[in-house]
Amino acid sequence: MCFNSFFFLFFFMLINFFFFVYFIMNGLSVFFEWEIISFNSMNIVMSILLDWMSLLFMMFVSLISSVVIFYSKSYMNSELNLNRFIILVLMFVFSMVLLIISPNLISILLGWDGLGLISYCLVIYYQNLKSYNAGMLTALSNRIGDVMILMVICWVMNYGSWNYIFYFDFMKNDYVMFIISFMIIIAAMTKSAQIPFSSWLPAAMAAPTPVSALVHSSTLVTAGVYLLIRFNYLLIDMFFFKVLLFLSILTMFMSGISANYEFDLKKIIALSTLSQLGLMMSILSLGFPDIAFFHLLTHAMFKALLFMCAGVIIHMMNDIQDIRYMGGLSLYIPLTSLCLNISNLSLCGIPFLSGFCSKDLILEMVSFNSFNLMVFILFYLSTGLTVFYTFRLIMYVMINDFNLMMIYNLYDEDYIMLNSMFVLLFMSLLSGSFLSWFIFSYPYMIYLPFNLKLMVIYVSILGSILGFMVSNMGIYSLNKLLLSYNLSSFLCLMWFMPNLSTYGLSYIYLNFSQILFKNIDMGWSEIYSGKGIFNILKNYSVFYNIYQMNNFKIYLFSFILWFMILFIFFFI
Amino acid sequence: MAQIPLGVKTHAQKVCSLYKRALRNLEAYYDRRHVYRYQAVLLRERFDKHAKETNMIKANEFLKEGEEELFLKQHPIPKYFATSPGGVAHERVVTPPDWVLDYWHPLEKAQYPEYFKKREQRKKEFVAMWEKEYGKPDEKDKHH
Repeated sequence: MCFNSFFFLFFFMLINFFFFVYFIMNGLSVFFEWEIISFNSMNIVMSILLDWMSLLFMMFVSLISSVVIFYSKSYMNSELNLNRFIILVLMFVFSMVLLIISPNLISILLGWDGLGLISYCLVIYYQNLKSYNAGMLTALSNRIGDVMILMVICWVMNYGSWNYIFYFDFMKNDYVMFIISFMIIIAAMTKSAQIPFSSWLPAAMAAPTPVSALVHSSTLVTAGVYLLIRFNYLLIDMFFFKVLLFLSILTMFMSGISANYEFDLKKIIALSTLSQLGLMMSILSLGFPDIAFFHLLTHAMFKALLFMCAGVIIHMMNDIQDIRYMGGLSLYIPLTSLCLNISNLSLCGIPFLSGFCSKDLILEMVSFNSFNLMVFILFYLSTGLTVFYTFRLIMYVMINDFNLMMIYNLYDEDYIMLNSMFVLLFMSLLSGSFLSWFIFSYPYMIYLPFNLKLMVIYVSILGSILGFMVSNMGIYSLNKLLLSYNLSSFLCLMWFMPNLSTYGLSYIYLNFSQILFKNIDMGWSEIYSGKGIFNILKNYSVFYNIYQMNNFKIYLFSFILWFMILFIFFFI
Repeated sequence: MAQIPLGVKTHAQKVCSLYKRALRNLEAYYDRRHVYRYQAVLLRERFDKHAKETNMIKANEFLKEGEEELFLKQHPIPKYFATSPGGVAHERVVTPPDWVLDYWHPLEKAQYPEYFKKREQRKKEFVAMWEKEYGKPDEKDKHH
């Protein structure tokens, strides 16, 4: 099953690649339309849009999913229900492809809802309590986005059809478009885990690692960014983009800080994904959708690779994900640590890897177009934080003193997992330059002063030095002082937002519903319907039973009563 | 139902529990083993200072202060083992209990004839081994 789906998706990727090159070189764009029903004045059509953007994204999605399925052949080896897992992953890829190629809102809704529900099924795959809670959090956060898309469908009916791409250039000042843009942005924010809805992404790490590599690094979370890229012409001058800029920059900053204090390997990578998503959303809201798309694709490559390396490490450590148990692993898994290092350095934006091409371009565009000082500071600070937690992770996992038992010596690097990682390694080295040659037909003209140009390098060097220092020194002993204890708790638990949005929001209602349940469901309504009526009937029948006991007194009394009635009736 | 205590803990048990939790807390903060060992020795010294206290009122007060201090200084992300309660892999793989095999359909049981041939005999031997070691169960315990 694994190999069949791997081959199918790989050939699908090759087909998409050839068509992408053909389409982008010739500037083609194909729009298929099938009329399902045409009745009086109503048409229901199914449409598919194939332009270079959708073909490129489909190529990347199918590449990553084929590699992940190949990887999970070995990773999920001991699973009894591997077929179920592969079928869920294939359904996920199908929903994603449906989302990518659809120019009308109904098929976007099908893909969007499918993504949310299937990611729920994948997160609860291991059926323990943590997975159930994480799945609930994921599904309900994504559900808010689904509701928003449903409402957009209602509002867009005003214009007569659900093909949104036809309306962008003509309807910008309409009030209806104002409402639609607001809802689309909220939907994208829920899917891409921006600040009010960011608690589900670290929690969804309860899913198996291949799921995290496919879903939570490159496909599900980028669906929101992709939707906004498609809707970009509509949203570009609207007020909400400024709100989105603010929230996405905060997301980038917050997750960068939280990743520095986090100790679970997959959660650190999840928070780095969150940070890069904030970066993508912010550059999109500044008005550069093609750069956002570029970063989306390069990020997908090295983040999927990073998750797969994390999976190898977790396998090696017998399911332990805490980095405090790890140290000095690079001696034992040299090829995996090669992949880990390259994807980490690509994430930091080290020159000439793929992450550098997109990230550096983003930062230079931010410096070149004069924006707010806060925007500038937070962008560069978040870049420095990225390098900081990356080097901290490398120090803890790879370089530091050997920490755990002889368990490392039992592990052989699995060729299946390694082969799949090398494909992504190759892509993560080359996709930056390859994509920049294809997507940008002419380079952006950026003219910066010397130090501003090098600001990225300064910030990266500073971040790496801090990362080394923090892992080497016992700086965490300072946390024992109560003064910085509260601050570090605040910063490491994602500014308490997960607690606020789960326990904080539902506590009042759950408490109230407990009161209602105890007092009404199990209290008064039992007296007035269930148990109460039963008791009344029982007591009445006990009472009436007396008359059936053949009691002589009752017969005599009824004789006297009857006699009195006759007497009164006849003689009065 | 009102809170029926499940058991009574002695003072020594409470102190040992506090000590173990405090050590696990230290482990969460200091992950390099030699640094942790140093801090653990310091903690042990703090506990040993009041170990021989005979006045129970003071001893209880120390215990209470210790619990309070542990609560205030607990690590926000404690270090758990993966398969233990609180860890990531807890209850991922669930083994069904043994009595489930008695509910199998005869056709399913026919797939493993050797095992099921000896199963009843093994059950009797198990009960005999248990009663030899722990004695026969009380008649009152057999029914709620």
